[in-house]
Amino acid sequence: MIPISVLTGFLGSGKTTILGHLLRQPEFSRTAVIINEFGEVGLDHELVAASEDSFIELKTGCLCCKIRTDLAQTIQDMLQRRDEGECSPFDRIVIETSGLADPAPILQTLMTDTSIAEHVVLGGVVTTVDTMTGAATLEREDISQKQIAFADRIVLTKLDLNGPAHPLLLRRLSQLNAAAPVLSADRGKIDSQCLFSAGLYDPHVSSLDVNSWLAEDPHAHARHDADIQAYTVVRKQPIGAVTLTLFLETLAEHCGADLLRLKGIVNIAESPDRPAVIHGVQHVFHAPGWLKRWPSDDRSSRIVFITRRVPQRWVEALLEAIGAEVADVSPGHCSG
Amino acid sequence: MSEVAVDRTCELLVQSLAAWRVRGGVQRARDGAIIIYEARKDIRIDPTPSEMFRWMVTIDGRKRGAISLAGVLRQVREALDPGYAAKRVRVALTPLVPY
Repeated sequence: MIPISVLTGFLGSGKTTILGHLLRQPEFSRTAVIINEFGEVGLDHELVAASEDSFIELKTGCLCCKIRTDLAQTIQDMLQRRDEGECSPFDRIVIETSGLADPAPILQTLMTDTSIAEHVVLGGVVTTVDTMTGAATLEREDISQKQIAFADRIVLTKLDLNGPAHPLLLRRLSQLNAAAPVLSADRGKIDSQCLFSAGLYDPHVSSLDVNSWLAEDPHAHARHDADIQAYTVVRKQPIGAVTLTLFLETLAEHCGADLLRLKGIVNIAESPDRPAVIHGVQHVFHAPGWLKRWPSDDRSSRIVFITRRVPQRWVEALLEAIGAEVADVSPGHCSG
Repeated sequence: MSEVAVDRTCELLVQSLAAWRVRGGVQRARDGAIIIYEARKDIRIDPTPSEMFRWMVTIDGRKRGAISLAGVLRQVREALDPGYAAKRVRVALTPLVPY
């Protein structure tokens, strides 16, 4: 039986960072990964440096909604490819859900689909919590409460930015799921044995009404907030460092909490060979990280937005206008 | 200031009114200014050759300079969107290039 672990957590809570760390550990070398993103263009798979023995199935759209029915088929295909020697052997599967995914139908599929039931077993649910924004997110987003309630392990992230988790956050987590141990990740690093040692998923231990969620009509579970939109801004031309900085600052100033998540690979004009990786959650932006090289031949800048009521046309107009202004001020400078 | 920069700013303001869900229209005046009309306040935005300010924003007759597009956008939104409270944010404490 192949254990399948589910890595979930709200947008920007550090799932991909933790996954990237795990896949660099020797004990995770025989791991197959399914990354699920909510957007037209998947990006996380390019941000995770998987070992040669790992491979990634990417599904855009939300696993818990429109492509949920594909999950069992995807797993079947992976197992078949493995058995036929068409891919590296693996003895573990990790599913990274989208930040907006409802875990209930995913777990329900894993536990009940007869086509995969003989081959896989649910290994555990790990939920990441951003200590900077986690308390507010739990207040605002019902789906984040569900993600906590389903957890076998809760992992606090971004402690390096925010210091120890606030007692109110810890109390809220305990209210939602007292049974799950609360662990801490140091910039994504965490003992892998602690994470996925939960064994078979037991829906009887969580303190909220997990059983009732799992028993929901699969067609009637909570849909994403209709105001939440995911889109990708793509630019073929490099973007100047100053333009990008002003763009992000203005986004944060005007969008605030409505900018649920921003992540992207950016071709910086001043650094054509090393793309910048940008992350933002609500009004919090991290300093850019730098990849050693482009992950593929596609060198366009791709910035994924998940927002509440922030129109794509406004975002694109903002980038264009700032680029034009910077070009005006710095003639000959490639501003994007 | 280039026509491209003014045109892009004009388009940004059009999209901004829609995004903020506030009343008003945007048009270019013959003298090159950007006019926001039929809005909560009368707003005129002039590109300026001044070294200190790139833009001069006139709201209900009161003039204020703006050193950048971000400043223009902030002034316009404060005038038209009563629920707006700006959050000033600084991005990137580290250098923006990996060298």
